[in-house]
Amino acid sequence: MKTVLITLVGALVLGAVLLAATGANPLEAYRAIVTGAFGPDGIQDTLAYAVPVVGMATALAIPLRAGMVNLGGEGQLVLGAISAIVVGRHVPGVLGIVAALAAGALAGALYASVAAVCETRLGVPLLVSTLLLSYPAMSFAAYLVRFPMRDAGSSLPQSEQLPPDVRLPAVTDGVTVGLFLIVAAVAVFAVVDARTPAGFEARVTGWGPRFAAYAGIERPGLTVRLLACSGGLAGLVGAVVALGFPYRFIDGALITPQYTWIGLLAALLAAANPLGTLVAAVFFAALTSGGFAMERVTQVPRELTAVLQAVLIIFLAAATGLLRRRRSPA
Amino acid sequence: MTQRHPDPPAVVLRGIVRRFPGVLANDEVDLTVAPGEIHALMGENGAGKSTLMSILYGLARPDAGTVELAGRPVAFGSAAAAIDAGIGMVQQGFALFDTLSVTDNVIFGAEPRRRGLLDRRAARTAVAELVERHGLRLRPTDRVGDLPVGLRQQVEILKLLYRQASVLILDEPTAVLTPAETDRLFDVLRGLAAEGRTILFVSHKLHEVLALSDNVTVLRDGRVTLSCATADTDRAALAAAMTGRDVELDKVYPVGSPGEVLLSAQGLTLRGHPALDDVSLELRAGEVVGIAGVAGNGQTELMAALAGHRRLDAGTVTLRGRDISRLPVRERRAAGLAHIPEDRAEAGSAPGATVAGNLAVGFQRRLARRGILSPRAIRAHARTIIERFGVRAASENVPMRTLSGGNQQKAILGRELTHDAPVLLVEQPTRGVDIGAIVQIHQRIVAYRDAGHAVLLVSAELSEIRALADRVLVMYEGRIVASFTKDEATNEALGLAMAGGTR
Repeated sequence: MKTVLITLVGALVLGAVLLAATGANPLEAYRAIVTGAFGPDGIQDTLAYAVPVVGMATALAIPLRAGMVNLGGEGQLVLGAISAIVVGRHVPGVLGIVAALAAGALAGALYASVAAVCETRLGVPLLVSTLLLSYPAMSFAAYLVRFPMRDAGSSLPQSEQLPPDVRLPAVTDGVTVGLFLIVAAVAVFAVVDARTPAGFEARVTGWGPRFAAYAGIERPGLTVRLLACSGGLAGLVGAVVALGFPYRFIDGALITPQYTWIGLLAALLAAANPLGTLVAAVFFAALTSGGFAMERVTQVPRELTAVLQAVLIIFLAAATGLLRRRRSPA
Repeated sequence: MTQRHPDPPAVVLRGIVRRFPGVLANDEVDLTVAPGEIHALMGENGAGKSTLMSILYGLARPDAGTVELAGRPVAFGSAAAAIDAGIGMVQQGFALFDTLSVTDNVIFGAEPRRRGLLDRRAARTAVAELVERHGLRLRPTDRVGDLPVGLRQQVEILKLLYRQASVLILDEPTAVLTPAETDRLFDVLRGLAAEGRTILFVSHKLHEVLALSDNVTVLRDGRVTLSCATADTDRAALAAAMTGRDVELDKVYPVGSPGEVLLSAQGLTLRGHPALDDVSLELRAGEVVGIAGVAGNGQTELMAALAGHRRLDAGTVTLRGRDISRLPVRERRAAGLAHIPEDRAEAGSAPGATVAGNLAVGFQRRLARRGILSPRAIRAHARTIIERFGVRAASENVPMRTLSGGNQQKAILGRELTHDAPVLLVEQPTRGVDIGAIVQIHQRIVAYRDAGHAVLLVSAELSEIRALADRVLVMYEGRIVASFTKDEATNEALGLAMAGGTR
């Protein structure tokens, strides 16, 4: 804990120097970040951003627990969202909501499974198969909202809105009950990870693939199952976002905010530990919304907030890396 | 064999102290080695041998004490500085490029140059000359990856000679060698000592130390417990100095009483290199069958095929009458197979994970209650094994790697024996394990046999095979070429069969 605090302070000092060098008042800027992230207005932004980031972080942490990296989160996320829109526009009412969410999860799960099978059957490394399969998925969704599913009344590449009865009820501004779905997913992951034989087997695989194979844990089956769960949750995140404001699929709306990559960063930093991933993901979400606030309130340019975030993240990564090395002397 | 030299000693370590958190790894250690001397450094794992050698080699700094080379005090900040001062070390794991030639490996890092470019001709000449002068059986043009382990080790030694090391440290150099390769290594080392080089030979094998060294120093718990001329000591005294008590050496256990056939392998064939060529064997309840052979003659492949890690090209494996040839590892284990693998750190355990976690692997379904695997059940399971098998660990929550080699192996043994499987596959059960732990591990294996289980044992140590096995099969080039009863299995008979000679 001390190491984390020290590096955090170190990052803040370095950040302050950077800010001062550009002529801004570091204290003012930091205050803007904190109020932007946790102030009465900011907390909603943070929460709205945290829901998909936590969801994606958890989704990617699931296979990472077994040492497998799913780089295809974006494709699974987008397929989940577009599937939810397709189903939601055809099935009315509460049933429509459930069916849309299920369709999103299913689409993500199936698509990630394809990538898994590419590794287990065809020998394509998972890193490659997940990442490369991501692009056709994104392009497919982009095609759909440009042509067959395009909102005729708009010039933007976006789908039509979902009917009012197929929308997730809002908790506060920008946050739907999808929040609870994501929290539930994190809870399920934490329990399965710590307290079930299946979770134990995934962890053993993460400790050492050869050890796991020796112990009779079958890697191909595990790969497909973990990737299905991972992609399923990513798809669910896509569906949750699609069923919230503005209730439609806008091309690029799930990619630009970097949910997937910030989520992956959080999962990596926490070594895929379920609660650690949650904390890291919320922290990054707060940092991001705080950064936007700083940009609005102070004269600090956009680029500098990105630099500041990068400095913080690298210092944090170094701190956790140091901690881990100390805990396991060679 | 101690000789008088007018020169100052080649190496003097005086009052070396090195502390690690909670451990005094070296406690006022003195060591003096004359030029041209072969000095053995003995001790169990964790006795402080490696720490002492890494201080001499510049990898660690002492908290107190001095190092002198040829009469001059030195303080190395790095291994590079030690190498410049003429110290060379062959570590246990080799640092070689498999795809490069012997010459390229040797000159790497100290390449001869001509006008800034690599001078290949000078390199070839220099290496060929060294090989010639020291009677090594290396061809400078051979690819290192194609060489057997014994010759790779000679490449490592050649690297030191090329860098003109006058003090050579060899850390457990015979652990990976066959008896014949060991003899050849000893010849090379004696030749190097005769031309005035100083050899520090780190080992815990009694007979090798007695056969090779001029003087011996024994460490226990970081302190020197014995330092004398090798001629003035014997196996029992060395073992007592290492362990702090009298140890029964070379106990040969009585034969068991074999019952029904539990495991039967027929015509096992694996293509590849090393291969398995039509291997058949039967394993009965209440017997230990030993597989002897020079490493790389198919023993590892045989065990992998039986355990389910390699898919057979032909042949069947039957366990208690059931064909398990096509079953995956998990189902073979469920059918009654337990396995102690050769590679303790990679395959047999996860060094970074807790002892409790390591011991729960394979039991995760059985320990679960209504689908919930509670951490408490995992810890209780681990404590049972730790207690029953006398594993020395601070607690079940420490990482596996904090345990000594012997205790890691006892933990793995305990985990696998706890399965109570009818058939146990054991590979190199005591490699890198202390003398004290060896005895305990052997007793456990024999007790397991006497409880009516069948044990298949692969070991590079002939003494271990002869101590434990009721029958001995010898593998050579992927085939079983000889079979001996316990009485017939003398060192000479086994050695001949291992070299491919027929009975």
